[in-house]
Amino acid sequence: MKYNSAIVFGFNEYAKQIIRQISGEYPNFEVFVMSEEELASVHAAGYEGELFDLGENWQSIQRRFDLNSLIVFCALHNDAENVFLTISLRSVFWHLPIIALAGEHESARKLKSAGANKVMPILQITAGVISEMLEKPIVNEVIHDILYENSALKIAQITVPKDSFLVGKYLYDIDWASEFDVIVIAVVDHELSATFSFTSKGHNHHIDPEDILVVIGYDDKIAILSEAIGVQQ
Amino acid sequence: MIGRWIVGFAFLLHTSPRYRHYKKFFHNLLENPSYPYKKFFDYVMMALIVLSVYILIRHVKHEMSAEWLFFNSYVISLIFLAEYLLRLWVYSDVSKIIIEQYEHDLFLQRSFGWRSAVRQTLSSKAGYVFSPSAIIDLLAIMPFFHELRMLRIFILFRVFKLFRYTKSLTQFVSILSSKKFEIFTLGLFATVIIVVSSVLIYIMEANNPESPINTLFDAVYWSVVTIFTVGYGDFVPVTEEGRTVAMVIIVAGIAVMSFATSIVVSAFTEKLDEIKDDKLVDDVSKLSRFYIVCGYSPLTREVVQRFHKSGKTVVVLEKDAAKAQEAHKAGITALAMDSSSLATYQTLKIDFERQVESVLLFQESDVLNVYTALTVRELSAGIEILSILNQVENRRKLLLAGINKIVYTQELIGLMSKQVSGKPVAFDVINALRAEKSGVYIEEIALDNYTRNRFFDTITLPLFQKRLIVLGLYKTVKKSFFFNPDATVDIEAGDVAIVIGTRALIDEFKAMTYQKGRR
Repeated sequence: MKYNSAIVFGFNEYAKQIIRQISGEYPNFEVFVMSEEELASVHAAGYEGELFDLGENWQSIQRRFDLNSLIVFCALHNDAENVFLTISLRSVFWHLPIIALAGEHESARKLKSAGANKVMPILQITAGVISEMLEKPIVNEVIHDILYENSALKIAQITVPKDSFLVGKYLYDIDWASEFDVIVIAVVDHELSATFSFTSKGHNHHIDPEDILVVIGYDDKIAILSEAIGVQQ
Repeated sequence: MIGRWIVGFAFLLHTSPRYRHYKKFFHNLLENPSYPYKKFFDYVMMALIVLSVYILIRHVKHEMSAEWLFFNSYVISLIFLAEYLLRLWVYSDVSKIIIEQYEHDLFLQRSFGWRSAVRQTLSSKAGYVFSPSAIIDLLAIMPFFHELRMLRIFILFRVFKLFRYTKSLTQFVSILSSKKFEIFTLGLFATVIIVVSSVLIYIMEANNPESPINTLFDAVYWSVVTIFTVGYGDFVPVTEEGRTVAMVIIVAGIAVMSFATSIVVSAFTEKLDEIKDDKLVDDVSKLSRFYIVCGYSPLTREVVQRFHKSGKTVVVLEKDAAKAQEAHKAGITALAMDSSSLATYQTLKIDFERQVESVLLFQESDVLNVYTALTVRELSAGIEILSILNQVENRRKLLLAGINKIVYTQELIGLMSKQVSGKPVAFDVINALRAEKSGVYIEEIALDNYTRNRFFDTITLPLFQKRLIVLGLYKTVKKSFFFNPDATVDIEAGDVAIVIGTRALIDEFKAMTYQKGRR
C-alpha cells in the first residue's frame, strides 16, 4: 500500500532522523509536537507543524488528511506517552497504520496492545546491529546496503496479481535464481496472512493470488520479474 | 682498589644482557603471578612439600627406604635451598645499588664509598632474610641437617611454605593481619587472665594433697585448657577457692572466644567484597578471548545477552559501583572500574592483542567515549573499537579518536522507519533473520583453499537445493559482492559466502564442504 500522507509525532533526535528519511517520500507531511518551543523548532527546520495534546481531539487530522492513505509515526521521547498517544489514536482511527518507537522491551509489548501496527524496539534493533557488526561484519554490510539502498541490490515485496501465471504453481516449480536472477527469501500466504514464512524452511508453498513474495535482486531484475508476474507498474 | 673492582663488577652485571635475562626469568618464575610458567613451578613446589610431609608421617611407624629418606633430607632440601638463594638474589638489584652509590659519590666529587654500598646491599638483602616468609623458607631447609634429629620437626615448616604458593592462604593471613590491633588486645587480655588465674589456682590448690594441680606448669595448663573452653577434665580444682577461680575463668573464657570469633568474622565481612573483586580481576586476566564493554546501560544488557547466546565472553567495565553491582546481578561479569583509566587495564593485566576481540564504548557521553578510546589506543593501535554516538555533531571527533565503527542509533531508526513504512514485510523478514529467532539464519562461511573448490558441487546436491540459499559471495581482495553467484564465479581462498538456511542445514553444508574439500 502506498501512502500519500505521513505524520510524525515528536521532534526529538529519533523523530528528526525519521523526518529526515521519510519527509521526501510523502506529498503531505506534517510534524505534531506538544509544546510551542518544539513547534518553533519544527518550523525553523522547514517542516509543517502542529500542536497536539494527548486528548481525544483529532479533528485536525480528520480535516486535513485522507485517512485511507495516511501513516503515522509515534516517536515521542517518553515510552508511556507514546503508548498513550497510540491508544488515543487507535480509539478514534480504527484502520490507521501506526508505527511506534519503543525504548524498552516492556514498552514494545504495551505498544502492540495499544494498537500499534509496527513497533520498532530501539534497544533490540541497536543491539542486533552491533552484535552483527562484530560477529558477521560482511552480512551486516550487505544487509545495510540492501536495506538502505547504497547499492543497486534491493529487497522488494511483490504481491501476486489474480491473473498471474504464478497462480496455482508451487514455489519450487520455478528456478528464480537462474530464470530471473532474483532470490525469493520469504512468502506471505494471503489466506493465512498472519505472517511470512522463509522459503529455506523447505515448505513448497502453493502460490495464490494476493500472496506476497519477498525478493532480493537488482533493480532491473526485480522490474523484469514484476512485469512477468503481471504487476501493474 | 676494592672499590674499583666492586664498581667494575657491578657495571659488568648491569650491562650484561644474559645476566639481566636470567634474573628477569627467575624473578618472573618466583614472584610474578601473571607469568604463565609460575603456576607450574608452584605446583611442583607444593607437590614436594606434600611428599615431604607424607614421608615424615610414614616414617613415624614404618621403615622407609634409604632412597626416600635421602630424597627427603637432601634432594628436597637442596631444591628448597636453591629456591631460597634465588629469591634472595632477585629480591633486590645489588649492581644498581652499587652504581647509584658510585654515581652519587662521583657527582659530589668524593671517592667511592664502597663500604656504604656494601652496607646498603646487605641492608636490602636483610629485608628479605628477616621477612616472615623467608624465615619459614629457611626453617624448611633445616631438615637438611638430618643428623640433628630434633631438626626433623622443621619439615613441618615446609607446610607453611604453602602460603607462598596458594593465594587463598595468603589472603587469609592478610585478612587477619588487618585486625592486628584487635588480635593484640585479645592476646593481651587472654594472657593477663591466664597469668592471674594460673597464679591463683596454684596458690589455692598446690598445697592440697587431693588436688591434681601440683606445679605451676599444671596451673598454667589448666588455665589455658579452661579459658579456651576445652576443659579436658584431667586437671580439676578440688578446693572451694579453686572452684571459685574456675567459675570466674570459665566466664572470662567465653568472653575471649566470643571476642576471637567476632574479630575473624568481622575481618572476613569487611574484606569479602575486596576478595570477590580480587578474584574477579584474577579471572579476567586469565580469559583468553573476550569483548570489553565500557559502561553499563540497557543497551549493554541487550548486547551482552546476544554475545552470551553465541557463546562469547564479555567483561563490562563500569565506574559506578551500583551499576556494576546491577550488572553483576543480571549475570554479567562486571568490574567497578574506570574504563578510561590506564591503571584499570594495568591492574587487569590485559594483553589487548592476545585477549581482546573488540572494545565497545556504550557510555552515555561522547566525551567519555572519546577519552576511553584514546586510553585504549594508547595500549593497542590495532584493536577494534566500536562506539555509540550520542550527539551527531561528534561523529568526526570519535573517528579522530581512533574509533573504527560508529553506531548512531537515531540514524539507524530513521533509516529503518523508511523501510517499515514502504516495505513492512521485507523489514520484518530482515529483522527476523537478524534476530535469529525464526529458526532461519543468515551466516558467513569463510572459504579456504580446500573448501572453495567444492563449494558449488556441494550446494547443488539435492539436500541443499532450494533450501540453502546462497545470497552472495564476498570477494575479500576486491572487496566486492557477487549476488546470486553461479559456478562460473571464481572463488579464491579467503572469500566469504553468505548463506540463508536452517541451522542444521548450514552446519551440514559446512561439514560436507569441508570433508569433500579435504579429500
